[in-house]
Amino acid sequence: MEYGIHLCILVCIYLILAQSFNITLGLGRLLNLAHVAGYAIGAYVTAIGTTTGDMGLFTAIIASSFTSGLLSLLLGGIALRLSDDYFAIGTLAFSSIVSALLINCKGVTNGVLGISGIPRPKIADFELLNNSSFLFLVFAITFVCLAIIYILFSGPFGRALRAQGENRSALLALGRDIRLMNTTAFFISSSFAGLAGSLYAYYINYVDPSSFSFSEMTLLLTIVIVGSPGSFWGCIGSTIFLVCIPEPLRFLDIPSYLVGPMRQLLQSVILVLVVWLNRNRLFSLTREV
Amino acid sequence: MFSVSDISVQIGDSSILNGISCEVLPGECVGVIGPNGSGKTTFFNAISGFVVHQRGTITLAGRDISALPPYSRAQHGIGRVFQNFGIFRDMTVLENLIIALEGRASLRKTLLPWSSANRAIREEAKAFAAQVKLDAKISSKAGTLSGGQMRLLEIVRTLAFGAEVLLLDEPTAGVSPKMKDEVANLIRYVQSQGKTVLIIEHDINFVQSFSSRVLVLDQGQVLLFDTPENVTRDPRLHEIYFGKSF
Repeated sequence: MEYGIHLCILVCIYLILAQSFNITLGLGRLLNLAHVAGYAIGAYVTAIGTTTGDMGLFTAIIASSFTSGLLSLLLGGIALRLSDDYFAIGTLAFSSIVSALLINCKGVTNGVLGISGIPRPKIADFELLNNSSFLFLVFAITFVCLAIIYILFSGPFGRALRAQGENRSALLALGRDIRLMNTTAFFISSSFAGLAGSLYAYYINYVDPSSFSFSEMTLLLTIVIVGSPGSFWGCIGSTIFLVCIPEPLRFLDIPSYLVGPMRQLLQSVILVLVVWLNRNRLFSLTREV
Repeated sequence: MFSVSDISVQIGDSSILNGISCEVLPGECVGVIGPNGSGKTTFFNAISGFVVHQRGTITLAGRDISALPPYSRAQHGIGRVFQNFGIFRDMTVLENLIIALEGRASLRKTLLPWSSANRAIREEAKAFAAQVKLDAKISSKAGTLSGGQMRLLEIVRTLAFGAEVLLLDEPTAGVSPKMKDEVANLIRYVQSQGKTVLIIEHDINFVQSFSSRVLVLDQGQVLLFDTPENVTRDPRLHEIYFGKSF
């Protein structure tokens, strides 16, 4: 039962994280390889705010989202001037900078040792100490986040973002400021990643740089690709599938140090398989006129 | 009135357009012709902002739009129909029209998918689709339409966005003879709405059928700007297409 609750909490956190990545990659065709950096920033803001100060649950969540969103504006201001492959390389560089800062700014982040002792959140006087009560909170927040993302997906913003992924010139000719639109998408996407990071920090009670490595980025990429980029429901299905599928590995008779690498290997094999099988239809053809 | 004055475009060391000027009245259609490489598409790109022009001004209804980016020029009424079909092929016909209508609607009112503003936009989009006989195909992907239907969709989408000046770059390219008539009828309808039309076309007879004047470009310069009758009689037109000995 406890293990099932743990899985449900992880699925909820990854649903927010993956669906927010789906906004930029799936709709806008912007391969933001710094998405996990937004997740990390959110987690660290909550970790620092709750261990060194007296930050409450909602303050921590808002501060985490807002900080990630603001830093994404800095990244977007530079990276969105680049195109296609160069954009992806630019975001990867930003991700590396964030990783380096988390490791080397020891005074703030405690370096590779990370920050422990993050308290479980309180609502009024009720402390969410056990996982089942925490699951209710995470589930409610995830539901609200997914509802907002669904409205974005099916509304004018999502439609315009999808259109620019296919034909930027045609959308410019229809009076859309593409740079502003992409920057907004970046901000929204990173804010949700920051929020997911905040929930993660509250749940695990500990953050360190290794929790936000490039393998997390690979998992997100796998989730969005397997769920079909830009598909809201596909992304939900693939998140549940990919977060849960490696879990049986825990029950196999293999050394514990091999479980992590095997999980990554399994996810990577699934990614390669799906890309291979859908090689001609994963993304619509980009057209310039 | 729409006017272009002394537009020049230079890319690297090459001068692509050199001092192009013309004035076009509302409801007037001007054909733009010239041999390959004469600068016709660059002329349209300079007007719509896709190419930066180094000199000259572009004025629409008394407002200088020369310094504006492409999306802002579109918001001011410059509509562009691209030579290689500027439609969103992976979206449905209805979505292609909705996206144009949403472009001129307030984001606050259209943010929620179930809002009354969105329902009104949907109905308006269906009416535009019916105008070009695409009402039976509103749920089809735009990429599955024929060349002529794609062209009609792109023109009517530009109209739906509220363009006042339509720049049509070879609207009959890849269009069957039957659909060519449909495209011509739509252009006549656009004119009848008091909108300005500039049309790049190789088929001089097609241009003549609704253009009051023809702009002939050669090597980035205006060679002729006159009525279709005078232009077709002018020996210089034959010279640029067929050479002096013809």
